Amino acid sequence: MSSIYLDLCKKAVEEAMKLGASEAEALVLGERSVGTEVERGQIKSCSDIADVGIAVRVILNGRIGFAFTNVLTEESAKEMANRALKAAKSSPKDKNWRSLPSPKAYPVVQETYDKRIEELTSDTTVELSQRAIEATFGIGPNVLPAFGGTQIYVLELACANSHGVEVYDKGTGIATYMAAMARSETQVSPMCYEFLAKRKYEIDPEWVGREAGSLAVKSTNVGPAEPGKFRVLLDPFALQSILTYTFVEAIKGDNVYRGKSAYKNKVGEKVASEILSIYDDGTLPGGLYSAKADLEGVPCQRTPIIERGVLSGFIYDNYWARLVGKESTGNAGRGGGGLGLPKYGTVPSINPTNIVVEPGDASEEELISEVKDGYYIREVQGAHQSNPETGEFSVALAPAFRIKEGRITHAVKGVMMAGNAYEMLKKIILMGKEARQVGNFVAPKVVVEGMTIIAK
Amino acid sequence: MKDVLFSVLSSLTNKGAEYGEIRVEKTNKTLITTRDGLVEAVTSAKEMGAGIRVLVNGAWGFSVSSSLKKEDLKRAAESAFKMARASSRNIKEPVRLAEVKAVEDKVGSLAKKDPTQVEISEKLSNLLEIDRLSFAYDPRIKSVTIRYADISTNEIIATTEGTYIEQKKDYVWNYCWVTGVGNGIMASARDELGTHGYELFDIETPEKISNRVSKRVIQQLEAKTPKGGRFPAVIGTDIVGVLAHEALGHLCEADLTLAGSIIMGKLGQKIASDVVTIYDDALMEEGFGYIKYDDEGVPGRKTILIEKGVLMGLMHNRETAAKMGAEPTGNARAQDFRVPPIIRMRNTCFERGDYSFEELLEGIKFGYYLEAFRGGQANLDGTFTVGVQSAFEIVNGELGEPVRNLGISGNTLETLAKVDACGKDFGLECGRCGKGQSAFVSSGGPHLRVKEITIGGY
Repeated sequence: MSSIYLDLCKKAVEEAMKLGASEAEALVLGERSVGTEVERGQIKSCSDIADVGIAVRVILNGRIGFAFTNVLTEESAKEMANRALKAAKSSPKDKNWRSLPSPKAYPVVQETYDKRIEELTSDTTVELSQRAIEATFGIGPNVLPAFGGTQIYVLELACANSHGVEVYDKGTGIATYMAAMARSETQVSPMCYEFLAKRKYEIDPEWVGREAGSLAVKSTNVGPAEPGKFRVLLDPFALQSILTYTFVEAIKGDNVYRGKSAYKNKVGEKVASEILSIYDDGTLPGGLYSAKADLEGVPCQRTPIIERGVLSGFIYDNYWARLVGKESTGNAGRGGGGLGLPKYGTVPSINPTNIVVEPGDASEEELISEVKDGYYIREVQGAHQSNPETGEFSVALAPAFRIKEGRITHAVKGVMMAGNAYEMLKKIILMGKEARQVGNFVAPKVVVEGMTIIAK
Repeated sequence: MKDVLFSVLSSLTNKGAEYGEIRVEKTNKTLITTRDGLVEAVTSAKEMGAGIRVLVNGAWGFSVSSSLKKEDLKRAAESAFKMARASSRNIKEPVRLAEVKAVEDKVGSLAKKDPTQVEISEKLSNLLEIDRLSFAYDPRIKSVTIRYADISTNEIIATTEGTYIEQKKDYVWNYCWVTGVGNGIMASARDELGTHGYELFDIETPEKISNRVSKRVIQQLEAKTPKGGRFPAVIGTDIVGVLAHEALGHLCEADLTLAGSIIMGKLGQKIASDVVTIYDDALMEEGFGYIKYDDEGVPGRKTILIEKGVLMGLMHNRETAAKMGAEPTGNARAQDFRVPPIIRMRNTCFERGDYSFEELLEGIKFGYYLEAFRGGQANLDGTFTVGVQSAFEIVNGELGEPVRNLGISGNTLETLAKVDACGKDFGLECGRCGKGQSAFVSSGGPHLRVKEITIGGY
């Protein structure tokens, strides 16, 4: 499809320029997915969904217009060029606009495409899902694989602009996931979620089913929780939730420029524990968000954010980078906003790719024994209500467990943790050696000291 | 179109499908974002497609076509049929659908002002006015982001059972996020509005919106931080809405109830105090979640969830209704043609009581008045958290000093049992709910008093 999609982009750009645009860009994003969904212990449905759309961005003397459609014909590509130009005409001039991206060489990114995935059908998603269900049931009689499934997907990106950017990329992925619940005589576990997501056809559905089920069973063994200041062991799930709504906002170049980042004017300063190094890497082999180019055709790259506790830089898309006289870091994403728009349905905004938190060398046992008297927090609820500007958060912990005398003793319920995400990064005292990807974060488990736990 | 859809549907029946449904949509959207007086990009969109869902041997298949040509719809229908067959292989408990009457109807839009007929320049000037007035409100206001959307959809639902419904739906939505700096702290407040037509800005003028949201920011800058612990509280109408929606509502979505939510097996039982009545109503026209028919073609209606403390009913689609021997309630909604309908709320509210605001405060020696929310979340085990953007202390039955950035948490059943009084006022908050898909909803109710709730201090 590469030439068809790229041709369509070029036609839309040509049309916009012909109509008098100063600059123009077109993007085609396509996703084809085959998925199987599990509900209450059985496979319930399969779906085969293809969604491809074209989005046209037009600049007319500093005025910006944008239009998109999921109708992929030459005629509608041209219509979108027209609509975008009309939108630009009715907009005021954006004094911060500099230019669309210029052409650059693209990196070779490893392990983002597997031909075998492209050839899979619902037979495979059904089989993998069934194996995950059985593995969850295998944990015990009171365990329910409540929700889950398997999805395979093929992503295509084509982008062209009037400065000569032309890029096409294709990637694949497969994921099996399971949310399990368990009941004991007196307790209901929270939803306990586990998943594996890969760009290659390498998946272990039994592991997913078992882990979700046993986490749910462990969560029904509820015991007392004490309030106070404690060391906590944060799972990558919990770390990802807390940092997504705070740290990630603080490292976005637009928030820095607009004074909404706690890290403004702090490059070169110590902002985190010395054992912490974080970078954004859109070229990470096999990374869930790795690709040749971002969603305005800028090459993906590795960008240091924190090196041994010292803030080294921020992430940018083309618009904000040019405004502050920097180069885009290849972090243009699209979509979002909670209105259910397709990914191609918005102009670019700054988005992380794979945020890698460099692992340390502590084993699981060493991490737990370092906590000694505290909590292991697998997931948190309510992190999206954090205050990104101050870093303040207050979250409910579920599933979470008490650690006493250097071992995990029981699950806790109705417990909250409050703190400040930026202060929390300064209080990391030990990093696990095994990292996994949850959302954008590729991170190990970490031990943090002095966290405030609120319990009845 | 009608002939084409029924011909595709009859080919599914001929193959042995137990049920088939096609949802065709043609949508126009305008989206605008402004940040600190700059217009980010005016977006114009055209989308169209059909989502086809098929039930074969008790399992579902789903497929999508972005073309509405007969041969493309046929191809998608065949794919959906194949998907359903694949998923039926290991079925233990086949899906059955509750019986409904076939409906033929044509439903017009509720819009008094058609948003597609309003010029982009008028839309822009309203947004830029909110921006300007917010900055003018106080020099401590540092940043204003406004997001606006209007979405106009023509939708057709046709089923193998003979239902054929055409609906025109309009949504106009406006969201502001305002940040201020002062006293060495930063604070933000949000404001979200939605109606079914462009009359939104006649009711909620730019002045009203900017004053409301800016006032909340400034109030937080001057506020103190809360004490952590358990306190009595009076809860404002929009947080009451969050409790109705997040803390209780999701537990009463029958798919989540069946997945083992904390209220499973409690139908007919007393799960809340006597003063608590909660409902989910499809037909409140002022609600952002108004629907005449849901996306399975089932008429929307009012569903009583809790009446005087007793759990009376759940929110169903045809599948869960059949499974639990209940009537379908018209709660099946799909974000768009790209996804199948799932159980969603519409307008979820606490019923009014007869207390005045002053009477609710009476007798509280020390507690909190929780006025407006930042966001909320809940788990099926009944734990919930609500972030609060505007709050005051209550001291000796009267409102005291403002408090900033506090969070509340609790267990739904414990909290509902501790509601001891409901106000006689009523507020309705418009918003979006995410459950894998996005849906426009409303929630609300009167002011409430709870004997005790956990306040999380920062």
